[in-house]
Amino acid sequence: MDFREKRRSYWYLVGPAVLIYSLVIIFPVVVSFVLGFTKWSGFGSPVFVGIKNYITMMKDPVFLYDLRNNLLIVGTSVFGQIPLGFVLAYILYRKMVKFGNFFESMIFLPITISAVVVAIMWNRIFFGNSGMFTSLMRMITGDQRWIMAISESKSGAIFPVLFVILWMYTGLYMIIYLANLQKISPSVLEAAIIDGASEGQILGRIILPSMINVLFTTAIFAISGSLKSFDLIFAMTNGGPAHYTEVVAIYMYINTFKYYKYGFGSAVSIMIIILSVGLITILNKFVRRIERKYE
Amino acid sequence: MEVKTNNMNSWKLFSYILMAIFTLITIGPLLWTFFSSLKPHALIVQSPFKLFMEWSPANYISAWKLGEMGILFLNSIFYSTIATVGTVYLALAAGYAFAKFGFRISKVFYAFFAAGLLITVHSVLVPLFVMENWLGIDNTRIGVLIPYIGFGLPFQVYLATSFIKSLPTSLEEAARIDGATYMQVFWKIVIPMAVPVTVTMLIYAFLGNWNEFVLIMVLTSDSAIRSLPAGINAFAGGMARNYGFQFAALCIGTIPMILFYAAFRKQIAKGFAAGSLKE
Repeated sequence: MDFREKRRSYWYLVGPAVLIYSLVIIFPVVVSFVLGFTKWSGFGSPVFVGIKNYITMMKDPVFLYDLRNNLLIVGTSVFGQIPLGFVLAYILYRKMVKFGNFFESMIFLPITISAVVVAIMWNRIFFGNSGMFTSLMRMITGDQRWIMAISESKSGAIFPVLFVILWMYTGLYMIIYLANLQKISPSVLEAAIIDGASEGQILGRIILPSMINVLFTTAIFAISGSLKSFDLIFAMTNGGPAHYTEVVAIYMYINTFKYYKYGFGSAVSIMIIILSVGLITILNKFVRRIERKYE
Repeated sequence: MEVKTNNMNSWKLFSYILMAIFTLITIGPLLWTFFSSLKPHALIVQSPFKLFMEWSPANYISAWKLGEMGILFLNSIFYSTIATVGTVYLALAAGYAFAKFGFRISKVFYAFFAAGLLITVHSVLVPLFVMENWLGIDNTRIGVLIPYIGFGLPFQVYLATSFIKSLPTSLEEAARIDGATYMQVFWKIVIPMAVPVTVTMLIYAFLGNWNEFVLIMVLTSDSAIRSLPAGINAFAGGMARNYGFQFAALCIGTIPMILFYAAFRKQIAKGFAAGSLKE
């Protein structure tokens, strides 16, 4: 009797969440996986084509270039946002500056602003004829016709985008590290200072070892977040000029909703999941190896 | 000793410079956007740095009308509020069951939700779009709300479960002995004790829903049921050859969020940090 009530309550509590979640995420992922092996324009029934979509994708230079852009974004996150965020957090944690609270709230601010707004704002700043950056550079160089040439070049066009990604998310990593640093017991630090430990020793022997797990978690955030990057680039450059700033998620969007290649688009979506899981597995192995060294 | 203080001072200087650069880079563009939003188009083009002394809200009025911002604003509030409350309620309920019932199947469900953290919206856009078409709920408000609630769940379930796990069980047991049902325990004991995490969850979810962009673009086509980010995006394209309107639209999207940030900064920070904190 009691157990039956318990079981019924369990389903009342869990049921709706599991149902909606399955409906919106699990089921569609399965459908995506199946559709990925078909050719389908949205009308009629899908035609099974095996792994042809995946082969076409791998042979498409646009896809490979998008992949390169995605990897650059992953790199910017892992080697840019994470170290910078850590340094900023460490400065705040060790109270090396006055007005720490002010700096903290300013640097974290971009996280609340919609990616679309951020994208349009920076588009105006970098690419607009009278944009802030363009005008500044014109004043500095004295050349009234200065434009951001890099945004027209195939290999360089992605850099303004990378800068904006750095701008938007570094504060987030700073906040995460700061919250974790503040969990380190102050008495441990005080003892080390009394024993005459240098700043370098404190950082290397006390702080970093206790932060390894967090650094690893944030690296996972960075990787999966980087592969998701869509909104910002979609609104900032729409992948242009000529696919130069395109990423895999935009490639998927264009193929699906512009060219109505639903089967192919699904295969690309599955590819995004495979890449994300693959990169995280590699990272996981790498971290395990480091951890073993520390032991 | 002399060397050490010198060293300390240069570290301090470095710290100030780094902090100042980051702050300037963050605030500069936002201020520039704000000042530009008060200037007429011609002046923005001619002298982008001149502070226009006769500030006028004209751009805001035009952008508001042209972009139908009123209805977009209401839609944004509608979606964000309902989806947020929905996600948080469902996550708390599931979290309670996962944390306290001790059922073996919970582990399976929990792993299911955890996997969702890796799945991006883009991976399910096609089937979601097709499914909604087929069910006839594409381009409707309910067709937006259900995915919003679903996509909030993985992280929120994680937050709720780990918090409720840390709560003492004695109160619940006492209530059970007094004859309370599990649902009563959930409403009268678990939810009141979970207020701190609930506040964080609400604010975090609200922020995500307010800024959501991809789903609203794909699942709706009628501008009357779209939200602010989609409306602002319209100003990126052909709609605004007038920079003044464009900047005003950006500010209309940003100012409420800056106020929201000013009010809830600590909670927002907590929400973002929560996923990484070791217990």
